[in-house]
Amino acid sequence: MRLDVHGDAVRGGDSGPAFEAGKSADSLLIKYIAGLDPDVVMPPEGDKLSKEEVALFRAWIDQGAKWPEGSPGDGKVNTGHWAFQPVRRPAGPAVKAEGSVRNTIDRFIVARLESRSIAPSPEADRRTLIRRLKFDLLGLPPTPAEIREFVEDTRPDAYELLVDRFLASPHFGERWGRHWLDLARYADSDGYEKDSPRPFAWRYRNWVIDAINNDLPFDQFTIEQLAGDLLPNATLEQKVATGFHRNTLTNKEGGVDQEEFRVAAVIDRVNTTSTVWLGLTLGCAQCHSHKYDPLLMHEYYGMFAFFNQGNEVDLPAPLPAEAEAYAKAKSAYDAAHAPFATAVSEFESTRLPERLAAWEKTLDKSSSPTWTVLEPASIAGTGAVKFARQSDGSYLATGENKPAETYTLQFQGGVPKGITALRIEVLPDAALPAKGPGRVAHGNFVLSEFRASVSSPAAADPRPIEWGVASADYSQDQFPATAAIDGDTKSGWAVAPQFGQRHVAVFEMKTDLNIAEDEILTIVLDQQHGLQHTIGRLRLSATTMPRPVQLEGFPADVAQALAKTYEQRTLAEQKKLLAHYAPLDTELAKLRQDEAEHAKQAPRPPATQAQTLAEISPPRATHIHVRGDFLRKGEEVQPHTPAVLHPFRGAAGRTGNRLDLARWLVDPANPLTARVTMNRVWKNLFGQPLVTSVDDFGTRGEKPSHPDLLDWLAAEFVSPSPPLSKGGAGARGGVGTAGNDRGGEVGANWSVKRMIRLIVRSATYRQSSQPRSELAERDPRNVWLARQGRFRVEAEVLRDACLAASGLLTPTVGGPSVRPKQPAGISELTYAGSARWVESTGPDRYRRGLYTWFQRTSPYPMLMTFDAPESNVTCTRRDRSNTPLQALTLLNDPVFHECSQALGRRMIAERAGDPAGRVAFAFELCVGRPPGDAEAQELGRLYAEFRALAEADLGAAGKLAGEPKPAEADLANTAAAIALARILLNLDETVTRE
Amino acid sequence: MNERCSMTQISQDGSVSSRRSFLANTANGAGMLALASLLRDDGLLAGEVTRESAPNPLAPRPAHFASKAKACIYIYLEGAPSQIDLFDPKPKLNELDGQAMPESMTKNVRFAFLQKDTARLMGCPRTFTRHGECGMELSDFLPHLATCADDLCLVRSMHTEAFNHHPGQLLLNTGSQMFGRPSIGSWLNYGLGSDSKNLPGFVVLTAGRGTSGGTSNWSSGFLPTTYQGVLFRNQGEPVLNLNNPEGVSDELQRRSIEGLVNLNRQRLAAVNDPEIATRIASYELAFRMQSAAPELIELSSESEATQQSYGLGRDEPNVKSRGGKGQFEAFARNCLLARRLVERGVRFVNIVHASWDHHSNLNDELKHNCLMADQPIAAMLKDLKQRGLLDTTLVVWASEFGRTPLGENRPGFPTVTGRDHHPFAFSLWCAGGGIKGGQVVGKTDDIGWGVVEEPVHIHDLQATLLALFGINHLKLTYRFQGRDFRLTDVAGKVVDKMLT
Repeated sequence: MRLDVHGDAVRGGDSGPAFEAGKSADSLLIKYIAGLDPDVVMPPEGDKLSKEEVALFRAWIDQGAKWPEGSPGDGKVNTGHWAFQPVRRPAGPAVKAEGSVRNTIDRFIVARLESRSIAPSPEADRRTLIRRLKFDLLGLPPTPAEIREFVEDTRPDAYELLVDRFLASPHFGERWGRHWLDLARYADSDGYEKDSPRPFAWRYRNWVIDAINNDLPFDQFTIEQLAGDLLPNATLEQKVATGFHRNTLTNKEGGVDQEEFRVAAVIDRVNTTSTVWLGLTLGCAQCHSHKYDPLLMHEYYGMFAFFNQGNEVDLPAPLPAEAEAYAKAKSAYDAAHAPFATAVSEFESTRLPERLAAWEKTLDKSSSPTWTVLEPASIAGTGAVKFARQSDGSYLATGENKPAETYTLQFQGGVPKGITALRIEVLPDAALPAKGPGRVAHGNFVLSEFRASVSSPAAADPRPIEWGVASADYSQDQFPATAAIDGDTKSGWAVAPQFGQRHVAVFEMKTDLNIAEDEILTIVLDQQHGLQHTIGRLRLSATTMPRPVQLEGFPADVAQALAKTYEQRTLAEQKKLLAHYAPLDTELAKLRQDEAEHAKQAPRPPATQAQTLAEISPPRATHIHVRGDFLRKGEEVQPHTPAVLHPFRGAAGRTGNRLDLARWLVDPANPLTARVTMNRVWKNLFGQPLVTSVDDFGTRGEKPSHPDLLDWLAAEFVSPSPPLSKGGAGARGGVGTAGNDRGGEVGANWSVKRMIRLIVRSATYRQSSQPRSELAERDPRNVWLARQGRFRVEAEVLRDACLAASGLLTPTVGGPSVRPKQPAGISELTYAGSARWVESTGPDRYRRGLYTWFQRTSPYPMLMTFDAPESNVTCTRRDRSNTPLQALTLLNDPVFHECSQALGRRMIAERAGDPAGRVAFAFELCVGRPPGDAEAQELGRLYAEFRALAEADLGAAGKLAGEPKPAEADLANTAAAIALARILLNLDETVTRE
Repeated sequence: MNERCSMTQISQDGSVSSRRSFLANTANGAGMLALASLLRDDGLLAGEVTRESAPNPLAPRPAHFASKAKACIYIYLEGAPSQIDLFDPKPKLNELDGQAMPESMTKNVRFAFLQKDTARLMGCPRTFTRHGECGMELSDFLPHLATCADDLCLVRSMHTEAFNHHPGQLLLNTGSQMFGRPSIGSWLNYGLGSDSKNLPGFVVLTAGRGTSGGTSNWSSGFLPTTYQGVLFRNQGEPVLNLNNPEGVSDELQRRSIEGLVNLNRQRLAAVNDPEIATRIASYELAFRMQSAAPELIELSSESEATQQSYGLGRDEPNVKSRGGKGQFEAFARNCLLARRLVERGVRFVNIVHASWDHHSNLNDELKHNCLMADQPIAAMLKDLKQRGLLDTTLVVWASEFGRTPLGENRPGFPTVTGRDHHPFAFSLWCAGGGIKGGQVVGKTDDIGWGVVEEPVHIHDLQATLLALFGINHLKLTYRFQGRDFRLTDVAGKVVDKMLT
């Protein structure tokens, strides 16, 4: 119930309409605000309305309850809010200082500065530029060699060439992929109590890195992640892309309502999509229409309906290299294996028939024991267990598996006369856990009691059958077959550890059994052990052979065939005989064993999987969740998009799906996607966005600092690039051909790389970041961009920078997550310490930060200390805090200490003959420039001090140096170098992008 | 070289006003904790630290209205201790032991493991007796706490809608079942700042195994990370990375930080970015924490009698308990540490202990846990009182929900020895900090199934906690994704009866 939106006010709330025009006396609204109902007084909190205010309400209702046109909430969706207006392409304004303009971007910035009589900052020096650019594009510090090369490069386009080189590096995908993973709430575990690992979450991360390195156009990048599975002839990679929305949390706590958490995941998909592409807080409309933006509750569920059809599917998803290697190994194996298979099949077709004939001659057919499979008239358990009849007359149990069960089978007719024993066969089946024959996870069962009785229409009570002896082909220790006829349900027959194979137990009757046609034989299989020790697949048979009864024998059909001569048999009978005989042939058995032995060498298909979304069929109906409660279903809703935005085209003649939604998001008419995306790109290159509220472009969000620039960037981003032959962008107006010379302003056609290239080539980007005292009061947050930003690098970049400076970094791109060193006692914080941290070994210890395993309930501490997102919900902007815990981490965390040790050793090793140059060498590795005089003096003093301390306590120096121990002559120097390296890695400048 | 770290030299860099202006200009002032605190030490900011003049996010700030509570010790017992066996005696339930419940009562109710069709009411073998002048009935599992009855406000009418552990924990600790919201301790520090100079404003102390909510129970959510709970560990170093690496002596550390500060100061002079000053200050504070935190956890300065009263050095029964051995000592230490933290100006201390989720073997396991928790908690209450700190220190015992009056007949378990999750009615207590002790709030029905009088929702409790600190829960907000969020979400009503 809302009173500030016309439609809602008129519709009323759960108790019906709040008022009717002209009838204030009957109005619920008046009743509640005037306090006429002591049980319901509105507003529920705060001051009550005064009599005068209530009178105003009355008067307004009585005068017709007119809602003024153009007032907020008038039901008209077309608001004048800037972000909902179509993107324009403003011309770059004229500026006085043309020399400050490198491309159109600069015009927007400089014009604003000139209007305030401020000059932009000069270009940063080359050392700063290359360091800034490499941090921004690749997330790594430049090496001294790279710096020197760039500083000494005299080509006029040296900077532009550097930009292109960095954009082509595979590390670009890692750096910008990590920005995207923040939005994708990427993690390596489920979240919630159990927080189970997701061993293949990285497969999606690989996709992101590759897509960004290949500069997959952003429209396609969007479509594949939201609906790659729905593309015609979707490739595996396009399906992998849908992993974006598989990063939602999963709750596997005992007793959870799966539907509740399925719905929670869908809600997160809606909210994340809305935040990432539209910059709208659509989630606010989950329980009621949006309080501030023109977004209605039914529109929320319209968006929900698109994602409500998604099913979570884990696919085998080998990386191309893995698939190739497998195919190669497989074909080599197949070739090697063929002779073994051929030997078996040749033996079967040529030798087996004659050997069967020879075997037949050895048989004494008159005494061959025969078992007749009994076909039950009914079979049932006590629970909702179901039985599926198999072609061999056995029954497979499916459905509910209660802890304890009793199966009852009834037989009428078709039961032989003169039965001497009953037999149960328990059979393996691929559908059973551990292939059965039981239903408990490891494949066992316990048959507590095997009972049988005969009921006759004449007798009131069934007559129980009395057992003589019981035997089995195999019995588990303490669980013999006789335990199943001892009358005690606490004991029974079981078969551990011989799972996955057939077993039989035979129960001899004390007297022969003859059943009349109208009598019913009932066999009860009591399984009271508990913990789901129930039988998974079984078959019952009877025999009339004389006692002692043999366990095995010929099934009735085999016996029948045996009774005939070869010539009398049908083809089917002969086949049956061959099938029966084959396992008994020792020569064939040897061939088969050889084949099986060789089959062990078969290459395993790659284990790599991908978490993907797929569409369910038939579709789920979507209802509004009344007050956001998934159990309270309101009216049904079809997939649709908010009316305030551009029209949803969908596909004619069918309901819209995720693919239609994705295409709608990247429709050039969408006023938001391009603006929101460019705003984030800008943020990543300046440390601050043009629209401060990166996640809220709605009416409560901040206005852009440079609206024309944002629009120009958005327009440039989505404009198609015309074929080069036509040249220029003049046809679309706005920028002129001059743009070509200044970074290719010809329409980026959704290429994020081109937009980044354009921005980093601007003079605005290339400015010095030195704070200007004259602007400290006027523009304390540097909104006008009279200089570049200067800020601490993100958590992962910080790690990478220290690893790189110390020479430890493993630059491998892509692959599964790794577990670098972390302080002891972290994973113990998880539920029952379930997420054990098994430290990676070898080069994996020094991989880039974005590959660090992210366990949601105990995230890697260093990442969290430096403001990496918790990855439970989408993160559009990271904090940049500056805390004592960060100081402690950089000083003392084992990883950073290892960096200090490595950097210290590097100083000694790489400047062996140049003690004086050591300090400057390490300083430049960390901050990208040689120390100034005062700095060099301070560093030299510290080095000498540390050396003296080390010499005074060689024991401590040895500990500081760690393993492997340096030569004794080098010890003091090494310890001093490490102590100094520790300072260098902690310098403000080391962790700052200037 | 000056023996003292160079803060005074920084203050020589400019006048107070220029320093103030760089404070004001720092966009992300997390490290300002350090700077403001140092400046106050130097008497430069004394008496003028208000929300307007100093952007230090942890500077003490005035509340909305006058209040008693200055600090909170929030004992969070994860898993849901059985209120029926501890706080809410039900003679009628004992009479009905073994009987089924009417289907009408369980019809639309969800359980984690319990099988509705065969579940039976399970009586409680505990003895309840009256304690204190107020005559509060408490279970024989809590003999020490019973001696504090007149200080306790026992709420028997708690209820929640969360049914599973992790969502329930989020609701209790952050006011929402959704992820990403700030915890109570974060909200309090955001609202009031902290009086502590050398320690974080929000400290978490854990014992035993981890909780299912993990760090999300003390997360700062969308608030700046400055406000998140800092985990003090009970093994090894008290704060992550507090100790110097091997081979780094205190002397080397001191000289290193000195050198680092000098070099950063040179950079500050060159580029004039106030963020560098903040970083210098955070290194200064880190260095101070390196001595303050070990001093904090060094309990030998406590008298023998005090240590004994908390149960330090007690024998721990040799039973196999979830979370392993050593929890008795850790929990007692945490209670004593909590008092020491409060003495040192820390705003919010969260004592966390998991393993109260007694689906089976309830009698033995609950007894074991109570044996662990009862004495130290009672000792802490008395210790605070004796030092005159209880009036200003709110102590809370809480969990995410309660346990069923029905026995848990989980499939596969031969006997019924536990209780399932129960969100409709459970108990918790508060003491000190403006709480009116010696009273019971609310009432449940004869079998403890539902609340019949004075229901208190989680959001009501949260509103009340904030009120004790002088904060109007409707006014403590933070703008995030276009909305002004509160701890109490869109609900919450102060329970006046709980207040003095």
